[in-house]
Order: sequence, then C-alpha cells, then structure tokens
Amino acid sequence: MTTGTTGTTGSSTANAAANATTIAHLADAPAEDRLAAAIALVARQFPDRTAIVAGGGGEARRVIDYATLAAAIAKLEGELAAARPVGIVARAKRVESLAVIAAACGREHVPVAFLAEDARDLVGELRDWVPLDDTLTLPPAAATGPRREFETVPPQVVVATSGTSGPPKLVDHSWDSLLAAARLAEQWHGRGWLLVYDATRWAGLQVWLQALLTAGRIVAPVSRDPDAVARACVEEEVSILPSTPTLLRRLIASGDRSLVSALRLDRITLGGEAADAQLLSQAKTLFPQAKITHVYATTELGEVFRVTDGEAGFPAEWIGRPLPGGVRLATRRDGELLVQLSRDTAEVATGDLVERRGNRLEFTGRRSDVIVVGGAKVYPKRVEEVLRGVPGVADARVYGLPSAITGELVAAQIVVHEPLPAGTTPDQVRSAALAICRERLEPHAVPRLVDFVKQLVTTPAGKVPRR
Amino acid sequence: MTPLDAIAAAIHTVLRDTGRDARDVSAGMLLAADLGLDSLDLAQTIVLLERSLGVDPFRAAPATVPRPPVRTVSDLVAIYTAALNQLPRTTP
Repeated sequence: MTTGTTGTTGSSTANAAANATTIAHLADAPAEDRLAAAIALVARQFPDRTAIVAGGGGEARRVIDYATLAAAIAKLEGELAAARPVGIVARAKRVESLAVIAAACGREHVPVAFLAEDARDLVGELRDWVPLDDTLTLPPAAATGPRREFETVPPQVVVATSGTSGPPKLVDHSWDSLLAAARLAEQWHGRGWLLVYDATRWAGLQVWLQALLTAGRIVAPVSRDPDAVARACVEEEVSILPSTPTLLRRLIASGDRSLVSALRLDRITLGGEAADAQLLSQAKTLFPQAKITHVYATTELGEVFRVTDGEAGFPAEWIGRPLPGGVRLATRRDGELLVQLSRDTAEVATGDLVERRGNRLEFTGRRSDVIVVGGAKVYPKRVEEVLRGVPGVADARVYGLPSAITGELVAAQIVVHEPLPAGTTPDQVRSAALAICRERLEPHAVPRLVDFVKQLVTTPAGKVPRR
Repeated sequence: MTPLDAIAAAIHTVLRDTGRDARDVSAGMLLAADLGLDSLDLAQTIVLLERSLGVDPFRAAPATVPRPPVRTVSDLVAIYTAALNQLPRTTP
C-alpha cells in the first residue's frame, strides 16, 4: 500500500461531532463488520484524516490516512472473496497492514490469527491457513487451495497469549469479545492514541482497534526509547496513553525533561503489571490534567476491574461483595487474589499476591516472582520500591539469582539519573542504596548483587522480567 | 589474580556492602568466627567469585556429591584452585 508523508493531525472537534451519531451506531452493526465500517465512514467524510503515524518521533515517520486505509481494505476484501482461504495468518509487521487484514477478514468472515514474534511456532496449529505479509497480496496458491463455505463458520479471531505465565498459546476469540471493551461514545472520538504495545498482542489490538473505531489517530513510536516515545507523543499530539507501569516509569524517569513536560495527556491507562503508589503520584504531579486508570486483567479472565481513584491497589471493601458486573474477589490465606467473574463461573486463582495497607489491598507481586532466600520470602516489587526512593536512582529491577548455598539470592539492576548531581559517583549511589535497604528491609531482602545498567530490559509485552 | 587475592577482594566487598568494616583476610582465618560471615555472606562471595574467576565450583558439583566442609579461607582457596585447574586451557 502507498503511504503519504502529509496528513491532518490534530483532532477537529467539529469533525468528530459530525461523526458522533454514526460512530455511536456502529455498535448496532455485527461486530465483524465494525472495523471496516468505521474506517469507510471516516474515509468518505474526511479522506485525508490521519489514521496512523508509524515511526513517530523518528527520522522516517510514515503517515497513513483513512482513505488509503479504506482503499487497501476494499482491495483485500475483493481478493479474499475470490480466494476464500480457510483462514489468514497475519504475518505483517506494520500496524496499518494488520488493520487492513483485520478489517477485510472481518468483513469477509475469514478467520484471522495474530501471532506475536514469540508465538510464531504455533503456526503449525493453523494448518492450511494462508500467511499474509505487508504486501497484502494473497499468494497464488491460496486461490487453488481447499474451498470451504464460511457462512457456517462463526467469524473469529485467534490471538496468542503473552507467555508471561507459561509458554504462549493460541486463544480463540469472537469479534464480539475482541471489541467488547471498545468505547464508542463521543468523548473518545478523534483522539491521538499512543501505541507502545506490540500490535499483534491482545493489549496492542485493543488500542489500535479502539482508535480506528472512533476516527482516532494511532501513534506508534519508532522505538520504546523514552526520548522517542516522548517526542512522538508531543509531535503527534497524543492525548491518550495506554502503557505498562514499567514503560511509563521509564518515560518519566529517563525521558527528555522538556519533552515530557510538554506532553498534554488526558488519560493514562495502566495495565499488565501492578502500579505502585510512587509511580501513580509521580504521574499525577507531572500530568495533573490526566485521568489515570489502572486496569486489572489476566490472560484467562480478560478485564476484571479498573481503579480510577489514582491510589495504588484497590479498596479493601471490594473483597467479598459483588462488584458492578457481578465480579467477586476473595483472597487466599497467603494473599493470592481469587476472582469469580460471575455466579456461573468457577473461582480462578490469579497468581497475584495482595497485602492490606490501611483501607487498600495493594499488589505485592506475582506468586511466581517471589524470591526465596534461605527459606525466607522476598517480594521483588517491595525491594524495587525502596531502591527507587534512593537519591540518584531512576529505576530498578530486582530478581532472584540461583545460589547453591541459600537457594536464591536477591540481585538488583539500577538505572541512575543522567547526569548524576555534581560530585556524586555511581559507587556512592550504590552504597547509599544498600544502606537504605538495610534500614528498611529484612536482612535477607537486601540485594547482594547490584549492577548498574543503562536501561532495564523489558519483555515484548513491556513488562520487567523477574528471572 | 591468585584465588586467595580474589577471595580476599570478594570478602572485602561483602563486608563493605553489609556495612561492616573491611579487614585483612588471610588463609588461616575462620569464615564464621574470624570474619563473621554467615551463609548469605558466603552465597554473595561465591557469586562475586564467579564474576572475577569465571567459575562456580558450588553450582558445578551435584548436591548429592559430598563436599568437604568450608570453614576457613584456605578451604575456599583449595576448592577454587581445584576448579580452576579443571578448566580447559585456552590457547592464547
């Protein structure tokens, strides 16, 4: 598909309002038609409106408008109608190609699979499905492949799990479940959305689907480097920032000061990991206009609840009484959070540990992240919180190191503020960090190995690995 | 660096990291009684030595093989000297 270098960024309230009723009516259309319909709607009325900015904050940014997107969808729809493949495996890397594939497959009732990089091996489970890359051209073989009547097959979407808790696996979704969380109300129209998630994973799909359903603009930064993310957000007028706490912390701690303070965010939606009080209060101070939401979701259950009061954890009174929507929460004796989505479903152990602090239940980490040192438990998140409070420390990651003597040992990676205050050396930061840890933590929880790193490693899902 | 030098340096780091005074380390010293090292301190020493000497004889040996007791600095020197001698020689 062709890409333009110009496009109208900046949301126009008038334009958004003109579309408001029609977009709101999208919910009446079958779920599998909604994406293509939404894109066609905007393409008709505002053909040159920007749909996607890829490589944002970098040298070679690509801008794709709604008309270009709609034309590519129509072309692929035609090819799918002629070839009738059993299913499509989206092998494309560009978010605009993924959007075209999703919209055309939905419209043509062709099942589509999104496989993240670490789930590519699972393609064997999708025998006879046809791969489609960024050229958006069906290979010739598909036309002569096995034919099948799709009217009898429910339209579906296959997405691989992130592999945070076990190897990635394929999960079948309906278009209805994929779009269940999308918000079509007018306040969401024509906004700029940061896409810092992998576009093929559940979290990423949710962001770009939401943006394209509501005449919005997807801004994919050229990399996850904090300066690039900040520059992309400022230049492309991002107002909604979905992120993991890890990536937001990195943006706040290491992003260019003047860029970060130039961000104009209306909303920050955190998910994928627990958000601690320190990060939430930093975000509140830096972005006073932004509404900060913390979504609690798991691979198995989807979204369970969201916290919007800006405090860490969730109110302790939520335990044991049904939440709106019928969700029930409970805790095991060891603090593991249990979730029952509705009366008809089984209670699920989440693997997430919570601890009561005042009138809140705060997340202390994943059960599998607990480090056991000579039989005593250490919660890495707690140690990281202490380390981040040390002057000169921008960010920290704590993990378990195998030891023949004590089973495991607490190890830490530290990112220091650049530049450090005059006269301060990294070695002084290290000594101060250890002294503060000795003061505030049990002896076995004090890190025994401290390394300085330029940047913390993150998983493809934007989280901090613990092993 | 000889194994004794590396062990002395690692113990210095352990003592300093845990807020204790660094002291001279000699081969005959008892790890617990003379230097005040507990099992966590020893575990840290071993991790530091893996970095400076490139071997971890404690991890390499299966837990089922009885290991001589590690009570003195020279016990450690003997274990690391043996482990280093077992390493394949690299040609310069």
